[in-house]
Parts: sequence; structure tokens; C-alpha cells
Amino acid sequence: MRAMLARLQSWEGFLTCVVIFVILYNTALTPQFMTMGNQINLFQLSIEKVIVAVAMTFVIVNAEIDLSVGSMMGLAACAFGWLVQQGVPAGAAIPLVLLIGAAGGAFNAYFITRVGLPSLVVTLATLIGFRGLARVLVEDRGITDFPDWFDRLGQQGLIGPFPLSLIVFALLIVAGHVLLAHTGFGRRTYVIGTNREVAEYAGIDTARHKQILFVASGTIAALAGLLYAARVGAVRGDVAFGFELDIITIVLLGGVSIFGGVGTMIGTALSILLVLNLRNGMALMNITGHIQTGVIGVLLIASVIVPRLSLRRRRQEAAP
Amino acid sequence: MSAPVLSLRSVTKRFGATLALDAMSLDLFPGEVHAIVGENGAGKSTMIKTMTGIHRPTSGMVEIDGDPVTLTGPHDARDLGVTAMYQEPMVFPDLDVAENIFISKTDEGLLQRPADLRRRAADLTARIGMRLDLDRLASQLTLAEQQAVEIARALSQDVRVLIMDEPTAALSAHEAEQLRAVAVRLARQGVAVVYISHRLEEIFEIADRVTVIRDGQHISTRPIADVTSETMIAEMVGREVDHFFEHVPSKARAETVLEVRGLAREGVFEDISFDLHAGEILCMAGLIGARRTDVALALFGIAPATSGSIRYKGSPFSPPSPRAAIAAGIAYVSEDRRKLGLAMPMSIRANITLAKLSDVLSPSGFLRRRREIEIARAFRERLNIRAADVETAVENLSGGNQQKVMLAKWLTVKPDLLIFDEPTRGIDVGAKAEVHQLIRDFVADGGAALVISSDLPEVMAMGDRIAVMREGRLMDILDNAEATQERVIALATGQAPMQEAS
Repeated sequence: MRAMLARLQSWEGFLTCVVIFVILYNTALTPQFMTMGNQINLFQLSIEKVIVAVAMTFVIVNAEIDLSVGSMMGLAACAFGWLVQQGVPAGAAIPLVLLIGAAGGAFNAYFITRVGLPSLVVTLATLIGFRGLARVLVEDRGITDFPDWFDRLGQQGLIGPFPLSLIVFALLIVAGHVLLAHTGFGRRTYVIGTNREVAEYAGIDTARHKQILFVASGTIAALAGLLYAARVGAVRGDVAFGFELDIITIVLLGGVSIFGGVGTMIGTALSILLVLNLRNGMALMNITGHIQTGVIGVLLIASVIVPRLSLRRRRQEAAP
Repeated sequence: MSAPVLSLRSVTKRFGATLALDAMSLDLFPGEVHAIVGENGAGKSTMIKTMTGIHRPTSGMVEIDGDPVTLTGPHDARDLGVTAMYQEPMVFPDLDVAENIFISKTDEGLLQRPADLRRRAADLTARIGMRLDLDRLASQLTLAEQQAVEIARALSQDVRVLIMDEPTAALSAHEAEQLRAVAVRLARQGVAVVYISHRLEEIFEIADRVTVIRDGQHISTRPIADVTSETMIAEMVGREVDHFFEHVPSKARAETVLEVRGLAREGVFEDISFDLHAGEILCMAGLIGARRTDVALALFGIAPATSGSIRYKGSPFSPPSPRAAIAAGIAYVSEDRRKLGLAMPMSIRANITLAKLSDVLSPSGFLRRRREIEIARAFRERLNIRAADVETAVENLSGGNQQKVMLAKWLTVKPDLLIFDEPTRGIDVGAKAEVHQLIRDFVADGGAALVISSDLPEVMAMGDRIAVMREGRLMDILDNAEATQERVIALATGQAPMQEAS
């Protein structure tokens, strides 16, 4: 009983309650809410963001940040469009674009781990740089002439009603959870995020670890950019503009500490469920996007305050 | 005797199920240095925190000048003249001494007259009897000088009770002496000085009265003349403890683990040469700033040497990273638990297995929790780490237990060479003896230990040989039999000449 109460007091417990409440409320209000179609649809509308949120969870637990993911999504989509326009077969363009993502991540990692600059600054610079590249590639045009199979992959169910992007997301978040919670790699992610010097003194190659995370973040952002291109069927220079903030919001709302070392993939998953259902529910109730954003903002502030309150209480009890 | 300035009247403090203070009563008189001793976890910190308003008593009360007061926080306590200072001085590194002293003076408006400020700062530093250049930035001061700044700041706020919590733990012998002089001087000026220290010899030097506490209870308060270190320790631990600091020689073996020749790092240390054998403890003594830690960091691959040579287990060795050093069987237990040693919010379990995570991973990289818990429990048992279970966050442990967790972490790598930097700083007498025994056990099993310590009795007790460093140079290496505290201090302070390597 005590254990159950303790769990309820945790941020994850709180999120679970809110998610259940929101879903029940939405279902009561709009009967079509809980249909498979609507649920898939609400995921589909933000699927690229939630895919990147999985990688972002690792980055933030590691006490870093990657602001360049939105721009990388845009760059990947635009690079894909450009390559296809130049006559490169789409099947060959896909791995090339993923390589661009990895290279972009490696570029970030170089300046963060070798030059020693803060990731906030480095990825702010590449947020601008990657976006600039994307705009150079497609200029003011929109590119829409993708092969049919590519568009179908983005828009239709691959297995039953589930589109490819949703399957990719499901696989990524499960793999991400296992990696973070049950492997040595995950443990190192937490330790480095808690105290990098302690990790370094314990013989952990913290630079290499961060390099892996940033390369993965860039690659996954590029993959998300490709999925975006396939879903929308068109790319422009402003694809995924500003997405990084939504992604970071989801991760922080899931209880991941911006200071690193704290948070779980389950928290991120709950936060994804909450944000998507809340926005969808409010949209079904004809509440405008601005108010939706305001509600998410209030929740974000709560996500910072509530765990602190319970932490302080626990600290005091354990203090002698 | 005059009336007490601050009194605790039967103060009890509970944290959930734990009883941290049990009907504690105490009187502090103006003009006395009142030492408070007790093992870690005895309730000293909680007691200070009730005096400074950080904790509120569950029952009982705090009285100032005989009137019951309810302290709502450190600020409130300061207004009533009660201030505490800790090991780590609170100074603003980019402000100068005078600005630091008056940092919290806000009652004279926005416009402070610098000349006036400086004159008053000079008065205050004169009062504590330390010469401080008021224009120096705090970042350029030694630790002791920074503490002096903090005391001057307390004086500027008309302090009546100054609580000094382990003020000398991180200081060199000379600096500690300066600080003790300041404490005595303040008491002579009518301040009630509460002095908390694990260094009993300090207490005999400056205290007027000593209070022993144990398990949250008041055990005794006596004039210093009525106690001996034996009775004090016995009261602290609740049993007779003898021969803490007697040297027990280790059995050095023929095999040389480490041969250091002419090791130097540009501008940091130079010409360091020594041998370390299996089964032997070599203590490195010296003042703060003697660069002993830098030598250790070169051996551990954090900041490699720029010239000279190291032979480790018979072959040339120059670790480029801690990883390489650990792989070769070298462990370095840092002096700074908080910054470099332990992931404080994480569990005992996660900290212990950190240095050799591969031991608890399956071939495909998955954590084997059960194995991890077994290893952590085994070490908790073996090192007598006092905690409810291995899932407890390390930050909730006492200093001594944290030290043991750190040692456990390094024992998991089964090192051949253990470098232990300030193994017992700020931990209590009982835990100290346990840590000493663990180091002796380690060398008895054939390990080699390099122990860096600023605690002279510890150096004399632990070192089979004692290497004394001063300002980046190795002054001499003494055999335990020929070493005396006086000799070590003379070498460390430059009063005795450096021995030419023969």
C-alpha cells in the first residue's frame, strides 16, 4: 500500500492518472475519440516529433541538449527532395540522407566533445546552419515529385491499419526503453548525466558516449525528416520548423530533468500519450491551438515543480 | 559565570521514524570555545541546523538570552547573531575581499562608499588577526583566507554565536593553525564559538569546554581540563577503543609494483622518484598545494606527466586515460567524494559497480540486476557500510559510509595499486579506524597502496615509508621508524632541507 502510494506520488504516477483522466474525458465527450482510426490519426499528426523524442530522452538524461533536430529533419527532407530531383533513385537517396543525419550529429559531437563547447551553443548554431542548408537546397520551391511507393509508405497502413512511421516509433521507443533501463549503455548514460567527472574517473569514455548519442540523434532526426516527406508528400524549406521545442517539451514533461541524470523512457512515453490525447481532445472540442499550447505550458511548469516538492519531502525525511 | 547566550532546552528532532536529536540540552556562554564531538551520524549537523533555524525542533525549544525563539531560517538566526560556517567557504570568487565581507549588507542603500567600506573591512580583518589584502579577488585566496573572509562577514553582522563545522578539515597544518587562532581570538572578544572537529588534538588546543554527543543524545559537557582523548573517544563510540594510531608495519615484498623516476609535469611538479613494493603502504605527506594529488593524477592517467618515466609491474607505463590505468590495475580513490568520487543521487549499488560495469553485464550488454545486487550486498557486508539497503542513495549516507562505498567501487576492479587521496578526511574516529584496517587488509593481500594524507597522526600510523612533498618537489622519503611528526612538518614547510637523491 505504501509502495503504491509512493508510486502515485512520482511524476510517472501522476502522468498516468492524468492520461487516463484525459482519455476517459475525451471518450465521454466525443464517442469517436477512442476509435482506432482517430487514435492512429492523432499519432500520425505528430509522429515525426515523437520519434525524435526517443533520442532526445537519451541526450537530455546525459545532461546535454540537441536543438538542431528540427532543422536536421528539415535538412533531411529537403536533401531527399533535391536528390530525387537530381535523378537519384529514391531507394538510394534514403541511405544517403541517413548518412547526412549521422554526419550532422558527428559535427555537433565534434564541437561538444573535442572542442569542449556547450551543446546548447553548438546545436543552436547548427539549428541555424542545417536550416540554412535546407533552404539553399530547395530554394523557394516545393518538391512533390516523389515515387508513388514512397508516398504510399508514408500515408497508408503497412501492417493492417498501422503505417510505417507508427511501427518505427513503436520499435524505437521499446528498444529505447530497454537500452536506457536495462543495459550498461543506459547505466552509463545516467552516470554521465549525473556527474560527468565521476564517470570519467571511473574509466568511462564519456566523450565517445556523447558522440554516439549525438550521431544517433542526428540519424533519427534525419529518419523522421524522411518519414515527414513521405507522409506529406511534399517538402519545402520550412519543413519541421520549430519542432525542436515541441520535442524537448515532450521529454521534459515526461519527467526527464534538464540537468541530466533523471528520467525514464516510460515517462517520455506517458508524456507523448498525454500531449497527443490532450491536443486531440481539445481540438475535438474546438479549443484553439494557442490555448492548447498554453495548457501544455502549464503542465510543463508542473512537471518541474511537483517532483521537486516530493523530493524535498523525501530528502527531509532522510536527512539526519 | 555570565548568562548563556544560546541554549537548547530538551530539543528533540524527528525525521519520519528516525530520532535525530533526543531531548538535547546545551548552554553556550559568551567568550567560550565550545567543542562538540561525536561520530558521524551522532546528530551534530542536525543540532547545528536547529540552532541556525534550518530545522525546527519537533519538541523542546531554542532560547537566546533566556527567551524562547522560533527560528524560521538561517536569515532569521543571523539577525539574532547566530551564524554557521562550513568546510567550503561561501565566497564570491569574482569579488574582492572587502566586497565579499559586506556582500549581505543591504541596509545602507544602493550607494556604498568604497573608501568607507574598505576602512571597515580593515577593522574587521584586524579584529580576527589575519592580514588580508582587501583588493585581492576571493578566487586568489587560500581556503583558510576564504574562511577568514567568511568570519569577517559574520562579524560585520554582529555575530554572537559562531558555529564552525569542521573548519579545518580541508586545510593544511599551517592554515588550520591560523584558523584556530582566529577562533580563540573571537572567543576572547566575547563571541560564543561552537567548534566541531574530528581532529581531537585541535580540540585540546583551543576548546574551553567539550560536549560529547552520541545517537542524538547529550552524553557529557566538561571543562577541557577534565577530559582526555581516551575518555572522549570512549564516550563518542560508547566503548573503549585503543591504539588507533599505533603503527602496524606491513610486510613489504620484494616485488616492485611501481618505479617512478624523475617524473615531472611542466609547471606543476618535478623530479619525483620513488619505488613502491607489493604489500607496502607509502604515505605522501605535505601541505595543501604540495602537488601530491597531481602526482597521483599523472599515475592514474587524468593529467599525464610531461617527462620522466614510470615502470609499473616491470614494464614502462604511461597511461593516457583513467581507462588505461584501471585496465592495468590501478585505482584512484579521489579526495573529493562529491565532485569526483561518487554519483551522489544514485544508489549504493550503482556506485559500487560503476568502475567495473562489465562484471554485471551479460555478453550482449544487458544489466544483470541480481548479480549487481549480490556484489553490492557482499561489499556492504565486507566493508560494514551502514545503510538500510543497497538501494539507498549515496547522498543520504554519512561521510564515513560514503568513503567506504567509494573504496568498494575501487576494490571491484581488483587493483594491484591503490592510490588513496585523503582517505579519512571529515569522517569520524570509528569509520577512520575501519578505513585504515581496510587499507591494511588490502596490502596484506599483496596490494600496494599509495596514501596521500594531510592528517599527520594518520601518516605516522599508516605509512611504512613516508614521502614528504613540498611545492611540487619530493623533499625526502622517511622510514616509519626514523620519522617523527616534527621531522615531517619541518620537511613539508621547508624548515628542513631537501635530501639529495642518493
